[in-house]
Amino acid sequence: MVNLNSVPPKNGQCYLALGLEGSANKLGVGIIKHPFLSKHENSDLSHYCEMEILSNIRDTYVTPPGEGFLPRDTARHHRNWVVRLVRRALQEANVSDPSQLDTICFTKGPGMGAPLHSVVILARTLSIMWDVPLVGVNHCVGHIEMGREITKAENPVVLYVSGGNTQVIAYSENCYRIFGETLDIAIGNCLDRFARTLKIPNEPSPGFNIEQLAKKSLNKQDLVELPYTVKGMDLSMSGILGYVDSLAKDLFNKNTKNKILFDPKTGEQLVTVEDICYSLQENLFAMLVEITERAMAHVNSNQVLIVGGVGCNVRLQEMMATMCRDRSNGQVHATDERFCIDNGVMIAQAGLLQFRMGNVVKDLSETVVTQKFRTDEVYVAWRE
Amino acid sequence: MPSPFAIYKSPNSEPREFRVDPARDRYNTTNGTTTGPSAYVLQAGQVDRDKPSEPKCNEQGEFTELSILRMALTGLQDDINEYLTQQMEVAKNKKLKQDDEQRISGEINKLLDGGDDDDDDDDDQGSSSKKA
Repeated sequence: MVNLNSVPPKNGQCYLALGLEGSANKLGVGIIKHPFLSKHENSDLSHYCEMEILSNIRDTYVTPPGEGFLPRDTARHHRNWVVRLVRRALQEANVSDPSQLDTICFTKGPGMGAPLHSVVILARTLSIMWDVPLVGVNHCVGHIEMGREITKAENPVVLYVSGGNTQVIAYSENCYRIFGETLDIAIGNCLDRFARTLKIPNEPSPGFNIEQLAKKSLNKQDLVELPYTVKGMDLSMSGILGYVDSLAKDLFNKNTKNKILFDPKTGEQLVTVEDICYSLQENLFAMLVEITERAMAHVNSNQVLIVGGVGCNVRLQEMMATMCRDRSNGQVHATDERFCIDNGVMIAQAGLLQFRMGNVVKDLSETVVTQKFRTDEVYVAWRE
Repeated sequence: MPSPFAIYKSPNSEPREFRVDPARDRYNTTNGTTTGPSAYVLQAGQVDRDKPSEPKCNEQGEFTELSILRMALTGLQDDINEYLTQQMEVAKNKKLKQDDEQRISGEINKLLDGGDDDDDDDDDQGSSSKKA
């Protein structure tokens, strides 16, 4: 059993936590509340904290179509917006005295170095100004704990799919263990980069725009054949990206020698951009479903929790649900864009669990951010 | 309120101190010359909506203390960035010079005697393989 009440809240009634996220192009500030309940003293209820979201503010650094986000400019965005966002978050949460916060949680890693650095500087400053302890949070664990709390999934296999990460995770002995992962680029990165090739807008997100294009495909029964690269429990996506990129370029250049895209006799176009988007999604998601199912068999679980930005893709949720239905009434848990996409609340949730177990920063030297910080490096003290 | 200052120390150079000079324009703005968006993203059509906010004035029309601090730090950051860029140029030129010297001395050695040895070796190997 775990005692989540080992550190009492400042006001004796509820815990208040501020979360700061800025590991990529989203800057998020969130404030949450956990009631101080006796049922959390001797139990395993870290997924049932009765969390209340007081504010969840986000601002995204968006680049023109065809462009990615550079670390320097993303860091500048975070640096120049973060104070304004914290002000809005406090105002929305009705927190007039920030020194009443129990903890300030920040993303320690993994992520892009420069943007992480912009945010941690503010976290340190606020901690000193308000005399509130800091907690450094693993970004991936933030996604998992947020998903568990929102969906109440007790012990699911977690599929973590975002712009920087693709992992299949299951909990065992105080650790989120990685059962399978990408060997090269993340799925979100694959979709984003293909969106850049297509020069479609990055607003609201490139992946969302690919999903919308895929829905418009009129040839859903005839998939464009793409490489399928599952390697044991791992997968690889860079080759697929290279292949679809070349298809798209041939399509734009009207290269009629390409027999997949054009009829060799008449020169008629057989495949559209929408068809390629649809086939790409189907192919990539089928790979994800396969390794997730294998992980479920390993740990004898019938629950899947999808987290990360790509997790709000409805088609991925549908395909995962089909697989789960075939496995003894399995369930898929997923959240919407408020919680799937990087946000400050998820950092506050994971950080507050750490805080309640007495895990806080004792010296500012412990707040150095890191680009590499694997999910399985975190000691999960708040679960049995 | 005391003015902020910065000291840069490195094993390869003398310590360098940066002080605020209120007479210079760069200490009277929150929009730094080296902290703007990359030229690359502007060329790509990016509209800069991430500028730092302007310094604020009190009821008497004077800059607030926090705004004065922000402006001082903006100027200091520009000074530091320019100094570090200059240091990087110096280090780059030094390396290029070293590489050039190494290349030239390598070529001279090859011409004088090293090259002959190599050719001899090649010839020996060639002849031995022929013999085999």
